[in-house]
Amino acid sequence: MNKDKQARSISVTNGPSFLSTPDHSILDDLEVQGIEVEYHCREGFCGACRCKLISGEVDYTLDPLAFIDDDEILPCCTIPITDITLAI
Amino acid sequence: MKYTTFNQKNTDFMLEPMFFGNPVNVARYDQQKHAIFEKLIEKQISFFWRPEEVDVSKDRMDFQGLSDAEKHIFISNLKYQTLLDSVQGRSPNIALLPIVSLPELETWIETWSFFETIHSRSYTHILRNLFTDPSNIFEDIVENEEIKRRAADISKYYDDLIFATQLWQTQGEGTHEVNGETHIINMRELKKKLYLCMNSVNALEAIRFYVSFACTFAFAERELMEGNSKIIRLIARDENLHLTSTQHVLNLWAKGKDDPEMAEIAKECEQEARDIFLNAVQQEKEWAAFLFNNGSMIGLNEEILCSYVEYIANQRMAAIGLGQPFDVSSNPLPWMNNYLNSDNVQVAPQESEISSYLVGQIDAEVSADDFDEFEL
Repeated sequence: MNKDKQARSISVTNGPSFLSTPDHSILDDLEVQGIEVEYHCREGFCGACRCKLISGEVDYTLDPLAFIDDDEILPCCTIPITDITLAI
Repeated sequence: MKYTTFNQKNTDFMLEPMFFGNPVNVARYDQQKHAIFEKLIEKQISFFWRPEEVDVSKDRMDFQGLSDAEKHIFISNLKYQTLLDSVQGRSPNIALLPIVSLPELETWIETWSFFETIHSRSYTHILRNLFTDPSNIFEDIVENEEIKRRAADISKYYDDLIFATQLWQTQGEGTHEVNGETHIINMRELKKKLYLCMNSVNALEAIRFYVSFACTFAFAERELMEGNSKIIRLIARDENLHLTSTQHVLNLWAKGKDDPEMAEIAKECEQEARDIFLNAVQQEKEWAAFLFNNGSMIGLNEEILCSYVEYIANQRMAAIGLGQPFDVSSNPLPWMNNYLNSDNVQVAPQESEISSYLVGQIDAEVSADDFDEFEL
């Protein structure tokens, strides 16, 4: 997934910061950290996992069908391409 | 404006609003104002399934072993879902197709409704397996007071829009008297009715199904009624997609990315939209109380189910800019998500990308070697 396979820092506002794992979605990483995020489809079409991207940039691993507002991302189908901060 | 099945006027669909513009003529998808709807069509078609593919025969034995309270929960939920899909299998077509103005959205509405009819057929598949004659179950749907109350609220906004559209398309704008009742028909009123109807459908897809889903999956957690659970998983996956479509429509309007008048109406009717949602939440909680009036089931009771309704309502309301009115921050039924995950929906070989299963597959690769045995 992650073209340069580089680990990026993921910070959660009022929560922990940790490094991303290449080849895993942000949602996978959050779950490994024990952070509860709502999810349903894990394929970008339901939007249940949508959360706010406070800073940084992400790449979509598929074409998301769910509605996503300008400041939101779907962690189930994104990987960080810079260090990012999320509000969940 | 009279409806025509093939509008003779050459319209530029890139300039049309989603609804109440010119009627659609050519079903063309080469240029799309809102490309998301064609993507939804593709996704939905890729989900195609048939209830008969799911073996529900073991459920009959499981059902015999349920307590009376559990039987009541199971059957009541099936009845309610039958009602919901009966409405959804026809209403988007009847209410929205006469006023839609974009080819990709028109086809999405038809695809969406078609899948609701698969759901309806699957309830008969489930019930036929449980009962030799399921007819009293179906008959009770129009007699059961609890279900009727919900049916009235669900169909009200559709019926309002359908009636106003019929008046507009036959009589035009103005004040019309029908059976002693006066109806004021103008574009603003029509669009308001459409806006409220879309909100009511969105609330239906967003939360009304989930009380039943939770009960079904609570049975499955105990390895009971698993055939039924497989079917409901497929239904839940479809409903999630339908919800995405109504969220897109509402947000396109609210954010001024479609008809500017709809953006005004979205602001003006925000409180009414919120009330529609909150009313649906309230009704679903009352439904939970009705389900458990003979006793609870293992793993689920009225309180947890009501708090799940609030939790999911928070999520769904936030998605359309209505805020999070309920004080529930974490999911009271975390195992639900395992059943709503599309990875866990079993994929048959013919649905995945194995080309040998594709009908009429053609090998389009031709190399020079392929002509080795030819002689001229």
